[in-house]
Amino acid sequence: MSADLSTAARRQSLALTGFLAVQSLAAVFFIGDVVADFRADPASVHVIFEALVTLALALGVIFGAFALRRTLETLRAQEAALDVARGALGAVIETQFQAWGLTPAERDVGLLALKGLDVAEIAELRGAAQGTVRAQLTRIYSKASVSGRAQFAAFFVEDLLGEGLPKAQAV
Amino acid sequence: MTVLPLRKADALPDAPSPPTLWDPVVRLTHWSVAVIVLANALVTRGGSTLHVSLGWAGMAILGLRLVWGLVGPAEARFSAFPPNPVAALRHLGQLAKGRPETHSSHNPAGAAMAYALWACLAVVIATGLVMTHGRTPMQVAADQAAVASGDWSALVKDGTATEEDDGALRHLAGEVHEVTANLILFLAFLHVAGVAVESRALRRNLVSPMLTGRGRRRK
Repeated sequence: MSADLSTAARRQSLALTGFLAVQSLAAVFFIGDVVADFRADPASVHVIFEALVTLALALGVIFGAFALRRTLETLRAQEAALDVARGALGAVIETQFQAWGLTPAERDVGLLALKGLDVAEIAELRGAAQGTVRAQLTRIYSKASVSGRAQFAAFFVEDLLGEGLPKAQAV
Repeated sequence: MTVLPLRKADALPDAPSPPTLWDPVVRLTHWSVAVIVLANALVTRGGSTLHVSLGWAGMAILGLRLVWGLVGPAEARFSAFPPNPVAALRHLGQLAKGRPETHSSHNPAGAAMAYALWACLAVVIATGLVMTHGRTPMQVAADQAAVASGDWSALVKDGTATEEDDGALRHLAGEVHEVTANLILFLAFLHVAGVAVESRALRRNLVSPMLTGRGRRRK
């Protein structure tokens, strides 16, 4: 979901940029036109009106730039928060694997299992026999004292859900 | 599927690194100016409607970039890369030794290049406006259409008592216009060479952040 959000925000910022560029082009051409008209007939109401409209357009460019900056900053803050969350979860997993006393090979297999790969895929990725992977997974589950893959994954998800559920029920 | 970073890959988390992707305004203005400069220097005929139109477009793009230098995000703002010739020379020295420092925005030499190019663009645009009497591309097109249809009055419209002074000024502007335009091409060449050398020294593709930022995950 977050990936979709940031893609949408990215697309929005690109669109805003294009709009801003078109607006600046228009502003510059209108400013040139106002200057030309002003030189031809400084006192006419038409020139004054046109100058005001052009000023509004130029201000629009500047405010558009401000809005775009804010969009970009929000986007970056979201990405940074997401990175922190990912990094934090990664650190939690690593610490827990160490606490369970998993060997380096078991840690790799455990991580791949958490990412949702099945035995065949893990075996292919690691260039190992499926039997070996199955044995490693069994050892991981026993070290973690969980019944199987579902409980193993739930071990880490539980922490993330801990505070969200009561709130959701209250609504 | 997201890949969890198990170990921190970066050896120097504190060292500032250039953006992995420049913001869209920086990218758009950069490439628009590049296209406009190349088109007007090498393709369009000086004084033609297309040449003048592109010049005006360049003025708008330059204006947008300068506004963005005041209100844009941190690394696009002038305060992130103040003009500093001493630092620029120091950076070139580091580059010659093959160990340039990294910076969070343009490096000092790149910043000097940016300011030099902007100044040259401003000169070319200003002299271009003098040469065309500040006429908008629409007026230029209208005048040329009039001349093409046999109405030569558009050419003598500006004929006044100050015509001679005006002629001298326009001639001077024309010389400056041409010299500065060639200077821009030379600076652009140096700029491309500088990016190539710096990319090599840093072992980091500095072009992709100015395009789509792809390849940044390979870091």
